[in-house]
Amino acid sequence: MEPARERELVDRCRREEPGAFEELVDQFKHLVFALIARTVADRSRTEDLAQDVFLRIHRGLPYFRGEARLSTWIYRIVINVCSQERSEAQTRGAARQVSLDDPDSHLPAPSTVDRRFSDFELRDRLEKAIQQLPAQYRILIAGHYLQGLQYEDLAEAMQLPLGTVKTQLHRAKRQLRELLEGHLK
Amino acid sequence: MTRDVSCVAVADLIEPIAAGELTPDATVAAHLSTCASCRAALERARDLDRLLRERTVPAPPPQFTSRTIQLIQRAGWRREQIVDWVFNSSLIAAGLLLAMGLWIALQHTGLSSFGRDAFDIFTSDMAALAQRVTPSLPLYAGATGLIVVALGLWWWASSDAAL
Repeated sequence: MEPARERELVDRCRREEPGAFEELVDQFKHLVFALIARTVADRSRTEDLAQDVFLRIHRGLPYFRGEARLSTWIYRIVINVCSQERSEAQTRGAARQVSLDDPDSHLPAPSTVDRRFSDFELRDRLEKAIQQLPAQYRILIAGHYLQGLQYEDLAEAMQLPLGTVKTQLHRAKRQLRELLEGHLK
Repeated sequence: MTRDVSCVAVADLIEPIAAGELTPDATVAAHLSTCASCRAALERARDLDRLLRERTVPAPPPQFTSRTIQLIQRAGWRREQIVDWVFNSSLIAAGLLLAMGLWIALQHTGLSSFGRDAFDIFTSDMAALAQRVTPSLPLYAGATGLIVVALGLWWWASSDAAL
């Protein structure tokens, strides 16, 4: 979305113009939903968390000064919601430690089958490996591989220098590669 | 430069090369062509990059927007209810405090007995006034009626003229 259109939409939402906030939700719901679904461990919580994001946006719009882009501000809210969800899940003790060799995964041990896993199995392992990454790395991986999120957007949303974002993303991928050692080609 | 040092140096470049963000220079390219371990790592990194790009993008359910708008409206109503409740409770509490303060002040200053005397004087005066006024009440009522009729006629005449 163009910055000028973003500003116009924000103004319309602030004036409480009918349908304006609905338009904002429609505009960003795919990105917000995908980002959350790819970041949180419990996917059944995705819709609740995405709604929480839009509730915070609605409450915060009167105070949004427009110094950053609307999309950047929304990414920042998504990051905060995901971080909060993670700490709350840990408090509840619900954060199940996911292991690549989790017996629940019903996946055969690497030694017993051919080293070339099917794509489905590999994707399943990839998701589990991503859940083992630190929260910051997970959101970086989720955001970077979603259309429309550039390094600059991530850096601004996470309030990190551009170089740090790139370095952390490469580290995250290296860690993933090491976690999937033996499963990748 | 030993093979180990080269492998360590190249290891940091594997991800940027796999993502297509870095083109290996001659030294790195030479190392990659001779070191099977680093070449395999690069292949795995490329495979991982492909998998990450192909990850499914979960889509929100069709009713997501309407459900979210309803949730926001409900939250707004709840907030308004809370504000109303706090305002009304504060008003009641302030009224009670004021009444209590007045009562305490009256008790401590002895004004309560003065108040009772003033009340007695007021009620007796009011009764005397009522006794004096009662006989003339029909006259006052008639005069008031005449004034109301006159005002009504004037209003009707002026509105008719305006038409």
